[in-house]
Amino acid sequence: MRLPEPVLTPHVKKPHGHTLEHYLQTGGYQALRKALALTPDQVIEQVKQSGLRGRGGAGFPTGMKWGFVPKDSPKPKYLCVNADESEPGTFKDHVLMERNPHLLFEGCVIACRSIGAKVAYIYIRGEFYHVQRVLEAELEKARAAGYVGKNILGSGVDCDIWVHRGAGAYEAGEESALLESLEGKRAQPRLRPPFPAVVGLYGCPTIINNVETICNVPVIFDRGAEWFASIGPEKNTGPKLYCISGHVARPGVYETSMDVTLRELIYDYAGGIPGGRALKAVIPGGSSVNVLTPEALDAQASFDGLVKAGSMLGSAAIMVMDETTDMVWAATNLIHFYKHESCGKCTPCREGSDWMHKVLQKILRGEGSMRDIDLLLGIANNIGGKTLCPFGDAEIAPVVGMLQHFRGEFEHYVREGRSLVPLAPWRAREPAGAHAH
Amino acid sequence: MEKVTFTIDGRQVSVAKGTTVLQAAIEHGIQIPYYCYHPGLGVDGSCRVCLVKIEKMPKLQVSCSVVATEGMVVDTRSPEVVEARAGVFEFLLINHPLDCPVCDKGGECPLQDFSYAFGRKESRMEFPRRTFDGEGVRADVDFGPTLMLNRNRCIMCTRCARFMRDVAGDEQIGIIDRGYGSEIATFREEGVHSVLSGNLMDVCPVGAITTRDYRFKSRPWDNPNAVDTICTGCEKGCNITVWIKAKPEWAKGSQLARITPRYNADVNQYWMCDIGRFGYHWVEGAERLSAPLVRKADGALEATTWDAALKALADRLGRADWGGVRFALSAHASHEEMFALGRLAMALVGDAAQSSIGVGWNVSAKPQAGATRFTVPDVDAPNVGGARAFGLVEGERPTPTVASLRAEVEAGRVKALYVLDPGPAGAIGDLSWAVAARKDGRLPLLIAQGPVATDVTRAADIVLPGCAWVEKDASYANMQGRLQAASQGILPPGDARDDWRILADVAAALGVPLGYDSAHEVRQAIAATLGSEPAVAGIAALEFRRPAPAATWLQASNPMERLKWDFLFQDVLPLKFENTRDPGHRAGEKT
Ligand SMILES: Cc1cc2nc3c(=O)[nH]c(=O)nc-3n(C[C@H](O)[C@H](O)[C@H](O)COP(=O)(O)O)c2cc1C
Ligand code: SF4
Ligand code: SF4
Ligand code: FES
Repeated sequence: MRLPEPVLTPHVKKPHGHTLEHYLQTGGYQALRKALALTPDQVIEQVKQSGLRGRGGAGFPTGMKWGFVPKDSPKPKYLCVNADESEPGTFKDHVLMERNPHLLFEGCVIACRSIGAKVAYIYIRGEFYHVQRVLEAELEKARAAGYVGKNILGSGVDCDIWVHRGAGAYEAGEESALLESLEGKRAQPRLRPPFPAVVGLYGCPTIINNVETICNVPVIFDRGAEWFASIGPEKNTGPKLYCISGHVARPGVYETSMDVTLRELIYDYAGGIPGGRALKAVIPGGSSVNVLTPEALDAQASFDGLVKAGSMLGSAAIMVMDETTDMVWAATNLIHFYKHESCGKCTPCREGSDWMHKVLQKILRGEGSMRDIDLLLGIANNIGGKTLCPFGDAEIAPVVGMLQHFRGEFEHYVREGRSLVPLAPWRAREPAGAHAH
Repeated sequence: MEKVTFTIDGRQVSVAKGTTVLQAAIEHGIQIPYYCYHPGLGVDGSCRVCLVKIEKMPKLQVSCSVVATEGMVVDTRSPEVVEARAGVFEFLLINHPLDCPVCDKGGECPLQDFSYAFGRKESRMEFPRRTFDGEGVRADVDFGPTLMLNRNRCIMCTRCARFMRDVAGDEQIGIIDRGYGSEIATFREEGVHSVLSGNLMDVCPVGAITTRDYRFKSRPWDNPNAVDTICTGCEKGCNITVWIKAKPEWAKGSQLARITPRYNADVNQYWMCDIGRFGYHWVEGAERLSAPLVRKADGALEATTWDAALKALADRLGRADWGGVRFALSAHASHEEMFALGRLAMALVGDAAQSSIGVGWNVSAKPQAGATRFTVPDVDAPNVGGARAFGLVEGERPTPTVASLRAEVEAGRVKALYVLDPGPAGAIGDLSWAVAARKDGRLPLLIAQGPVATDVTRAADIVLPGCAWVEKDASYANMQGRLQAASQGILPPGDARDDWRILADVAAALGVPLGYDSAHEVRQAIAATLGSEPAVAGIAALEFRRPAPAATWLQASNPMERLKWDFLFQDVLPLKFENTRDPGHRAGEKT
């Protein structure tokens, strides 16, 4: 079933939609009461039944993840909400946090109780000052009203929530790097195993979930796991936020379910491509996934549907590129991002990202050779699957995809020294390659 | 111990449960390169050169991080592995300055050696290399009082940072910036200030961290001999290797090239402190004594022969005065020397021998973080344990015996003071009172035995030149009561003699021979008298090393590393990349 109405973002446009008062008026914190009436195991069971999969990128079943926390461990347990939201094209989590913070708090308390945690940390990205302000102000209210803190709603359950703002690094969104950063160290990933569910924050069992994942938890208890499971295609259930950006008439965050296709998202929800121009490429899951061509437009924008189409749902950031897009420039721009954000811990990513960037800049300057194109693929091949964390695979995915699907454009640069598509006016005024950083 | 058996490259290997694939390979001489892993620093999983193929695992795995399990099948040489590994080596070298000809690590550099064995033949990199502080050796910057840092050479293995954090317990090294711009740094560029700083040179797998002491001094192949011995700087007794120059004439005659730690699980693991590592220069310093000295009638000390010096000693020390002889003994003296001195004292002083000997040493607190895993003890002498075993010392401090000795000397009751101080200068503690007493005549005779000129030798009537610790075979008991052998690496200068022999010669000259013809006989005598003392148990069977030539000259700081050297320097065929493309030709196999 298609999601009939938004459930995560129904009130985001109202001026006071984010306040505790408004949240309570619209039935907020009722799911918490329902969940508190269940045992922790029953809660996890309900989450499993709902079919909720993680919205942070990998789509891992959330109930199963919670089940990994060792029950007999005498150590404290933690929930960390991943609100680093740094994936290019992704801007859904901050909408939830800014405009519906109590949904997140409610989800945190339910999640904490089910895994036996008494503390949740919301790790927000370094640039999110305004989000931090909203979260902390509303958190204070929730605490005062007894929804967060000691003996919540008289149930004897304790759960406190802390907002922690990072220093601004994409890699801090990688779950183990997030834990390092939260502990006050450099945001660099840890070697796994052990996995965070067993050895996480301060060496204690820890669950890391995306903001949207946790925001879906109250929905499960509000409307029932069965209802949740009925939304969207099988195994890809529940409401889903999509961030649509690029060459579309109405870029923004849209809430629907995962039976939606890319075509619907681009042409119906986001109003299509302005000026009637043709679509050239879509990156459907934030910049870290393979690029798709218009042939894939009818693919279901779900975890499984996009894998079938040769890409991934990732963070559900749909980046739309029309026919005016210079793919070589786009590839250079993306790899510049990854080069800049590589944490530098492991060799292939640290050295390879910069090298690929240099080769792409060279092609963009019109100085490339055919060998450089193969070299790019060779470097990417030496990064892919050989890094410490998935960042390495992420950084090569869009570039390799572009090289596969649009090799002709790269070759044109090599042969003619310039782009196959007419330069965008703002680029035409600049010397070649100036915007490739 | 529980074992697991698994297969690497078609070879069955059995290792203790919990061993990683990389450790198992190293133990069995199977070549897998590694940088971020170090047996003393653990696994980091960041350099990515230790890639292997493990059956049933979809991706290549870093062997340092995979624990071997029963029946696992590992391949380190399949084309897939060889190519992927070469890819990582290419990454490591694209920004490396390749200034091996001027780099101190050249010749013992894991980056050089592994790249040669596992890397690509040529680089595909055509852009200018990353530089941090300049080009070439100008990029060397101060890294504290003992070290230099060349960031261009760094491969970001973070061993140095982890050493400081995990072993020194003092996180002075960090990484600033990130990604491609990551660089090793200290707070406000203050450099490393640590008594363990020298170990950073050992752990650094490239020439990024070098010691000022060894900088531009030599190449490993210029030091074909090295002796495995122990450090006698303090009561820890770190196991070390002393590197000896082949061509001392190129270095103003000095033979000692450097000192590096040697693995001993029970004593010092992989490490040693800077005091021991850098404090060897006195051995070949200007103050060394190379001939016996006797004070002449005009008051000047004059070099002479052993016969003349011993005769002078016998002449000055009449039998009537023997009872008034007292001994000041440094706790730097070995078992052999302490024992021989004890015998001499018994011959001269008789029953009161034990109380005629005052043992001196220094105690100093080392600036170390509380969290350190390598504590440098306060006691700056190697053999307080021995002195205790011989009944010469009771408490923890040298004061009581030395104080009573001093009182006797200052009261003018001592006929002759015999000082045995095997160096370094000052290590015996304060003897200025003896010098003063000799000068104003309260002490009629001062005899000094030892390798270096000090205030005591300068005031002495007779000076008998001894050996520094690397010039003699001798045994010591460290703070754990562990008996350890210090082996001779180089010859003493001029006429200097082994210290136990000097004592025997003195005894013979006085007509009370000790009856030992070799240090071994002294050790046998110790065993016969005190054999049950833990600090000397087994002393008669103690084995001493000799400087070992060529085959083992690359003695790195631990057996795992050493194994690496051993197999890498057997002229292995490089596992070159293109070999794998040639069907029927497995990389690295002789054809
Ligand atoms: C380089 C990198 C960056 C990531 N950034 C984010 C992020 O900003 N937000 C997020 O929720 N997950 C991010 N992830 C995914 C997390 O590692 C983790 O899988 C996720 O938070 C798990 O939550 P979920 O189970 O709710 O999806 C990132 C992963 C990688 C490899
Ligand atoms: S792949 Fe390596 S360098 Fe890149 S972000 Fe992950 S750990 Fe850091
Ligand atoms: S300086 Fe040496 S030890 Fe430190 S990270 Fe660089 S290569 Fe490794
Ligand atoms: S030794 Fe295995 S990754 Fe560095």
